[in-house]
Amino acid sequence: MRERTTSRTAWVVLHIAVILGALAMFFPFLWTFITSITPGAGFSITPRLWPENPSFAAYETLFTERPFARVVMNSLMLAAITTIVQLFTSATAAYAFSRLPFRGRGVVFAVYLATMMIPLQVLVVPLFAQLKTFGLLNTYLGALLPTFASAFGIFLLRQAVNQVPRELDEAATLDGAGHFRTFFSIILPNIKPALATLTIFAFMGSWNSFLWPLIVLRSPELQTLPIALAGLQGQYTTAWDVVMAGSVISVLPMLALYIFAQKYIIQGVASSGIK
Amino acid sequence: MSVSTLQTSLVDRAPVTRLTAPVRPPARRGWRYGLTVAAFLLPSAVPLALFVLVPMVSAAWISLNDWNLITPMQFVGLDNFAELIADPRTAAVFGNTLYYIVGYLPLVYVGGLFLALALNRALKGRAFWRGIYFLPVVTSWIAVAIVWRWLLNPNNGVVNTVLGWVGIEGPGWWTEPAWSMPSIILASAWKDLGFVMVILLAGLQAINPDLYDAAKVDGAGAWTRFRHVTLPMLSPSTFFVVVISLINGFQVFDQVYAMTGGGPAGSSQVVVQQIYDLTFRYGAAGEASALSWMLFAVILAVTVVQIIGQKRWVHYA
Amino acid sequence: MKRSLIAAVGLAGVTALVLGGCATEPAEPEGPVTITYSNFISAGGNEDNLTAIVDAFEAENPNITVEVTTLPYGDYFTALQTDLAAGSIADVVDTDFGFFQTLADSGALAPLEVANPEAYRESLIEAYSRDGVSYGLPSSFSAVVLYYNADLFDQAGLDYPTSDWTWADEQAAAEAITALGDDIWGSHQPVSFFEYYKVLAQNGESFLNDDRTAVAFNTPGGIEAAEWLVNKSGTVMPTIEQGQGTPDFDTNLFVEGKLGMLHTGIWVFGAVADVPFSWDIAVEPGNTQQASGVFSNAVGVSATSENIEAATLFAEFLTSSQTMVDVRLDSGWELPPISDESQLGVYLTKDNPANRQAVFDSLDGIAIQPIVATGQQEMQDIMNEELIEAQAGRKTVAEALASAEERINAVIGG
Repeated sequence: MRERTTSRTAWVVLHIAVILGALAMFFPFLWTFITSITPGAGFSITPRLWPENPSFAAYETLFTERPFARVVMNSLMLAAITTIVQLFTSATAAYAFSRLPFRGRGVVFAVYLATMMIPLQVLVVPLFAQLKTFGLLNTYLGALLPTFASAFGIFLLRQAVNQVPRELDEAATLDGAGHFRTFFSIILPNIKPALATLTIFAFMGSWNSFLWPLIVLRSPELQTLPIALAGLQGQYTTAWDVVMAGSVISVLPMLALYIFAQKYIIQGVASSGIK
Repeated sequence: MSVSTLQTSLVDRAPVTRLTAPVRPPARRGWRYGLTVAAFLLPSAVPLALFVLVPMVSAAWISLNDWNLITPMQFVGLDNFAELIADPRTAAVFGNTLYYIVGYLPLVYVGGLFLALALNRALKGRAFWRGIYFLPVVTSWIAVAIVWRWLLNPNNGVVNTVLGWVGIEGPGWWTEPAWSMPSIILASAWKDLGFVMVILLAGLQAINPDLYDAAKVDGAGAWTRFRHVTLPMLSPSTFFVVVISLINGFQVFDQVYAMTGGGPAGSSQVVVQQIYDLTFRYGAAGEASALSWMLFAVILAVTVVQIIGQKRWVHYA
Repeated sequence: MKRSLIAAVGLAGVTALVLGGCATEPAEPEGPVTITYSNFISAGGNEDNLTAIVDAFEAENPNITVEVTTLPYGDYFTALQTDLAAGSIADVVDTDFGFFQTLADSGALAPLEVANPEAYRESLIEAYSRDGVSYGLPSSFSAVVLYYNADLFDQAGLDYPTSDWTWADEQAAAEAITALGDDIWGSHQPVSFFEYYKVLAQNGESFLNDDRTAVAFNTPGGIEAAEWLVNKSGTVMPTIEQGQGTPDFDTNLFVEGKLGMLHTGIWVFGAVADVPFSWDIAVEPGNTQQASGVFSNAVGVSATSENIEAATLFAEFLTSSQTMVDVRLDSGWELPPISDESQLGVYLTKDNPANRQAVFDSLDGIAIQPIVATGQQEMQDIMNEELIEAQAGRKTVAEALASAEERINAVIGG
């Protein structure tokens, strides 16, 4: 009886904490949205919770005066390709690093991790010069190639593969399965939460990436959403309501993907969740 | 299967611990095995080698030159490194970066863990709440930075207003050198909580529920189960979060650029902001490359220490 | 084997960088040519206006096609420098006055044979020349003026600002207006490098010495100028804590009718146009002399372009053609850099603000941006930082200037 009340109290406290936290999480985004429907400059000295003359004109500006539909399509396409390729290259490498011992594997993995340790800011110039020699400037392929493998994704999936019980592989091996079949029929189905997580992050990485697409994609018809959003800022003045409208728009596909992908993250545990 | 048998030593299963050649090389497995390894590794090795390692080599070469990106490079040997070591700003930007990491990492990990545990429960509208907590992760820094500057406005910002209600006079936040880095840490932790939450949620899902049942049968209470099942079983995810957060933390840039631009008085200038300034604003690409190689050495050292140290606390299934 | 492949490709990358700067042989234009133009001037709302000018040029020159790429001002120079490093620079490029010096110094720009140099305002075309040779053509300019809220002036019983005003007049008016109410402020002027070299000129001082190897502002007159800038904060202008630093803070304060005077560029005409009070502009007050801030952009032709002739033709059209004048005046897209003021009649007769003549009167005394051979950006950053230290009260003005002097001299003295 007593334990019931404490768990009841805990339940209430938990819900209140989650709701309060969610408000703190949501508030800045709400404010971004409010600014986007506040006509004119938008940044009032005394911020209001609701604008005097709310207007969706900024959204109209985005889609009528700018090639926004086009840049959204570009961003979606690049992000989708990046995500699919990264899922493939990360999963195969993760399998190798977890299940295929070879001489110097630790060093190779360390080299993989090392590729995350140099800031992009110093790599763009050499990378740009290199892609120029390949004739890939101002092409989708030039924007995509450097995103095809990600040490982040490989590391993420390797941790997941390491957690798949080896008894499962051994059983498959006894059944006569080779590495390729073990990979596809044992490992991949067992790391779905990690694959879904990587889907989110790979997509997000591409969706939000700025510096490299800025440098490599110059033609207006090739440009991506973050570049177009930055382009709303002029040398002297900026239409902040339009910038904020663009920010709101850019959040939506990511949020949709997250809500879709998280079903797979919690898949299979709905019945036996941690109590 | 008891908890303890699962927590076996993982020396032979954690390949990254072997940064040097293993004592006993694996038995030769023939060319077919070699082909299999190649087939699994090449899809990632080729792009990483071509588009990261090669530019890294180029950057190493640039670090030995004086270069403003426009006129031809001039070879200067190790002068750039010598200049950086003599320059007090180098220590300052590394110090500020370290300050960021020390403040950010515990905040974001503990917060993210709490969130993951809370949102892993049978909560009403769980999917909805998860979506809300993930929202900051996907919002661009340009919008977030402006909103946070306003929230942390010393005069009429929401944070200081709320502090005022409980009788605390809020600080000057990003307008004061002593508070600019805490402002950035706060905004960054807020933004990345959802990221850590997602990783840890995936980790929680991978825990075998039988372990909890077994622990219950052994009479373990909630805290004991958390301490002896959840935390050890979550350690691969924790390890991942810590390694990644440190690698990314040392390269913190976007939020600094958008929130304070490194100010006031250089109090929030971090290493990568300095690298960006040197490359694209101060015409010193050689020095920037040298600085990034120094940063590389620091991150590598920190990561290697973690990889070696993981034996003590990371448990794979 | 893999290692040697990486080394070989790495070598190719480095070689590309080393060879990047080398010139390619210019070819004579025969038949149709395509030139590329990389710009920031149209980013943020003037994309269609630029297209109109380019279309008119292509109609007049059917043999030449112009491929336009537009980048935001804030990121443009990052991309431009990457292009310069890799040798993939466009034929025609935008630049602002500060970066023009870097480009011209490093030989990235071709000397231009300008067909009709008289078309340009003299001070502007000279600003982009070296020893009488043009390396860039001014594409537009904007001036900084004094905006004032006439209603607040009436309320305080003050006369409106005129071109004869001095700092003392502005100070007196600012104090009177600040006294009108708790949330009313007298005058707002940004605390920055760009304002400081201007107020130095207004006080008969100079930012740099004559041979531009050291700063010259740490003088009684220089301190007085810095105090004029810094001491507004907290007296007639809100402090940093009181809200500065949010985007467009000063413009919004003015638009909300809470600011008597505002020092800013003519680019906010549009944002201020519809306010419910009467307002106008005047030439910025000086102290010992009048000096105004003028900002200009320019286009240059890449020294490595294969079509310098066609590129120059386009550059000239873009910066001095009648189409350009019409498009810019019609849309209020800064001001055309032309010498013929009669063409600017349309601009002067527009309303809101009424006293547009003040824009041209400002040009009688221009405070020219101090330029150094190396360390330009770093010099500006240091100056901004030290002025803000003084504004925030963490340093006295004298301390901040002494520190700025020492740090800047170390950077530019080379």
